[in-house]
Amino acid sequence: MTQEYEAFVRDRAHAVSGSEVVLTLRDLSPGRHKYKGINVRAVISETPQEGEPHLWLRSVVGVREAKPCSVRITEHLPAVFDAAPYTDYFTVTEALEKG
Amino acid sequence: MAHKDLREFTEALQSGNDLVTIDDAVDWDQELAGIGRLSCERDGPAFMFNNVKDYAGWRVLANPVTGWRRYAVALGLPAATPVREMYKIYAEREQNPIKPTLVNSSPCKEVIIPEADIDLFDLPVPMVHDGDGGRYLGTWDLVISKDRDSGWVNWGMYRFMVHDERHLTGYPRPNSHLGKMLLDGYVPAGEAMPIAIVIGADQPSHLSSTATFRIGGDEVELAGGLGERPVELIKCETSDLFVPASAEIVVEAEIYPDKIAQEGPYGEYPGYRSGEMGNSVCARVTAITHRRDPIFTIDTTGFMDSSAVTTSISGAIAIRRRLERYDIPVSEVYIPPESGVHMAIVSVRRGGPDIARKVVEILTARRALMSKVIVVDDDVDVFNMSAVIHAFSTKCHPERGTHVHTYEGRANALTPAYSQEERVAQRGASVAFDATWPPDWPAGSTPIRATLDSMYSQDVQDRVNARWNKLGL
Repeated sequence: MTQEYEAFVRDRAHAVSGSEVVLTLRDLSPGRHKYKGINVRAVISETPQEGEPHLWLRSVVGVREAKPCSVRITEHLPAVFDAAPYTDYFTVTEALEKG
Repeated sequence: MAHKDLREFTEALQSGNDLVTIDDAVDWDQELAGIGRLSCERDGPAFMFNNVKDYAGWRVLANPVTGWRRYAVALGLPAATPVREMYKIYAEREQNPIKPTLVNSSPCKEVIIPEADIDLFDLPVPMVHDGDGGRYLGTWDLVISKDRDSGWVNWGMYRFMVHDERHLTGYPRPNSHLGKMLLDGYVPAGEAMPIAIVIGADQPSHLSSTATFRIGGDEVELAGGLGERPVELIKCETSDLFVPASAEIVVEAEIYPDKIAQEGPYGEYPGYRSGEMGNSVCARVTAITHRRDPIFTIDTTGFMDSSAVTTSISGAIAIRRRLERYDIPVSEVYIPPESGVHMAIVSVRRGGPDIARKVVEILTARRALMSKVIVVDDDVDVFNMSAVIHAFSTKCHPERGTHVHTYEGRANALTPAYSQEERVAQRGASVAFDATWPPDWPAGSTPIRATLDSMYSQDVQDRVNARWNKLGL
């Protein structure tokens, strides 16, 4: 069975641009650990690529897209990001993308 | 007197047919919460789920205090207690705080899980709605924190989501008491902020945590007052915080002063999932303690959830007290449950534009949770929405009766009407609808309401009522 994740994105066009992005994937594998979050660097393909896990994109209000993308994880990141409380999460991930 | 713990409370619900027990297997992934959600929308009962998929040995209680009947039982009152009477009793009990007592042992310490062994996914945390950012552990909870400098202890009900095995993310609003403690004290000092997330305590403790209460107020003593019995407290394992000994589960954690993770979105109490995700706090769990046969509690957040009664009643009383402090001639305040805690009805002994303007300014001075206030004369029963809508529709001048007050930095980021930009800036507006007669209108030309109690002599009213009763109507 194909591994599946979901991720919440504010800027969809950026997420599927083909460049490496930083995001939090929610693991959709059935069982107790379903919805566990992992922070990663990854490349999202709008057209699912053979052998890559599926990724369901959701908007900031949780609307799921009709079709999945696929995702290639290039690096696992720490569970938490360095930033002050209430810092905008998407600003932090974009800053990490720029290095 | 209120029930001493969750188990006594659920027995009382059961005996009053306000609790349904389900022994069939139910999925924690949306199904369980979906049942609770429907119950909120149909003013149905609480549910005890005895067989939760993947979580043998755990029970989950959905919506302990949703609807006026269960609110009454939570206060130790008959379930059929009228709403106006509950407002009165709450206001009286609030004025009679009771100090807590300390204990050294409690069933909530029967199982102690140290940090090294923690896996938050061992708890039956439900997926409340499809499309939420994750599984929400804190929905009907009680989050305890302490001010770094003054030592003041805050009890609040804040949402917390499971990020991974050991991390939670949460959204206590930045202008909430917890948010202010964190931003004003711990973050500048670069120190982690200890918290304890309590699940399944005695219901007055949870009611206290939902209460609109002043900064510096003692919510532990408020819980004692609401329950008419002292709350028993026991010390945490990894911090100097004290939690209700009646708890089913306690999650001890530390909020990072310098780290975040993704939180939200989440279907919230206004009845919508808004785009407020991405501005949150992140906590590392340091210990979990619980009873051997624990009951996990959830509020299936959304339209007509627990806040429709809990926050409404405490919020309305807080509004009345605040207006009284500012010499507004307030008679009664009511927050309709259907308003998602966004609209208050305020009756005044003397109205007019100056009063309406002052009301909205006073109620938005620190943080602005109400975006609409309807001000009515005190001959309008604020608990009677037919009368309120009649007054609003007919007496509020479309132009002169509308008083908008704008602000920045203290708006409610969960208000669905706000744009993403407004949420981030906490920029918003509140409006007072003045449905009172202008005080300078002479009595001889002020319209008279065409109702039995206003347009008929007392003699005729008495005769009509007598005949009505005789007819058995």
